[in-house]
Amino acid sequence: MDRNHENQVIELCGQVGKILLVNGAEIPRVEETVEYIGHSAGVAISCYVTLTAIFISVDTEPMTHVVKTNPGSFNLQKVDEINELSREFVAQEIGFDELSRHVAQVDRKVIDFNWPSKIIGAGLVSVAPMLLFRTAWSDLAMAFWIGIVGYLAAMYVKKIAAIPFIGEVVGGFSVALLALLVVHFGWANNSNNIIISALMPLVPGVPITNAFREIIAGHLISGVMRTINALLVAGFIGSGVILAGLLFRAVFGV
Amino acid sequence: MKLLIEFIVSFLSTVGFGIITNVPRRALLPAGIAGSISWICYYLLIGNGTHIFLPNFVAAVVIGVLGNIGAVLRKVPVNTIYVPSLVSLVPGAIIFLGMKNFTSGNTGIAQQEFLNTVLIALALALGFLCSEAVAKPIRAKIQELNRS
Repeated sequence: MDRNHENQVIELCGQVGKILLVNGAEIPRVEETVEYIGHSAGVAISCYVTLTAIFISVDTEPMTHVVKTNPGSFNLQKVDEINELSREFVAQEIGFDELSRHVAQVDRKVIDFNWPSKIIGAGLVSVAPMLLFRTAWSDLAMAFWIGIVGYLAAMYVKKIAAIPFIGEVVGGFSVALLALLVVHFGWANNSNNIIISALMPLVPGVPITNAFREIIAGHLISGVMRTINALLVAGFIGSGVILAGLLFRAVFGV
Repeated sequence: MKLLIEFIVSFLSTVGFGIITNVPRRALLPAGIAGSISWICYYLLIGNGTHIFLPNFVAAVVIGVLGNIGAVLRKVPVNTIYVPSLVSLVPGAIIFLGMKNFTSGNTGIAQQEFLNTVLIALALALGFLCSEAVAKPIRAKIQELNRS
């Protein structure tokens, strides 16, 4: 086995691991997939993954490849495609060169639902089943629209501003302000219920559950990192909501 | 009637979250079914006045089993079904409330909400753990049937 091949393999493995991790795959799956690909390519490697870094090391030689990442958002379509590619590679349906070409494609390609369906998706999530029959239907209908606005605001701000957590603050702020306004003008009854319902697309419920699954599975470092990250996300959404409340009080004096 | 509305709304909620998290198209339907059936289990149990641990645990087991079946049938990673179908169960709203109360100084209420968050997340994680044990033989069985 020559050096060059080993270099190529761990570089590709780093790329694969990064795509999986940033787009929301679980830690064990990332490690497993990377090690499978390495073994199938004829290089025995060990892979260790935390939420912010991937370490890939060749077992027989003092060679390690480190990839730094940032916690990303969910794009499970990419996870599925990488999964499919690695399965084909392990089953020897495609060769190494083909695999690296396809991986590069998945990395570059923007795979996404179109915006209209994302908007409707955000609206649907904003009608929380938790609040059914406990709050008026008109409030839930309001939450549908306000949830869309909050989601779009958060996504847009995240895209244009490189400040961490700014999207969460703006999302919480716009949802709370709109909810307070529609109640103030008498179009809805309970602003608290609207806020909770409309924040559903933004709150970090799934990350915190995944964090506990990881902690139980023994991936303590990533689990704790994910928990802290979820707490921060929730905290910044909360501060956005409180800021909106303060502004509302200053303007309308109630 | 009430149950049917709960079913439909949780189904739509799950599919909506599936769209936001960009799951593969072919995972949307099994995710929706897993999400709504688990929500119905949760709803029925919590309606009986059960403490929040058991409903969440049972719902997670249901998602785990249905998710594994769906993953084999539709050939998708099981996580792409777990993530969207969890959306109505996860303690997202409660952790937000906890953080909001924490920021505005109501630390007493915040404490309670944080503890509830941890409890719900633990219940869900434990549910998944148990469902893996049930799902493994089912998975093998389906794969066997598919081959023959």
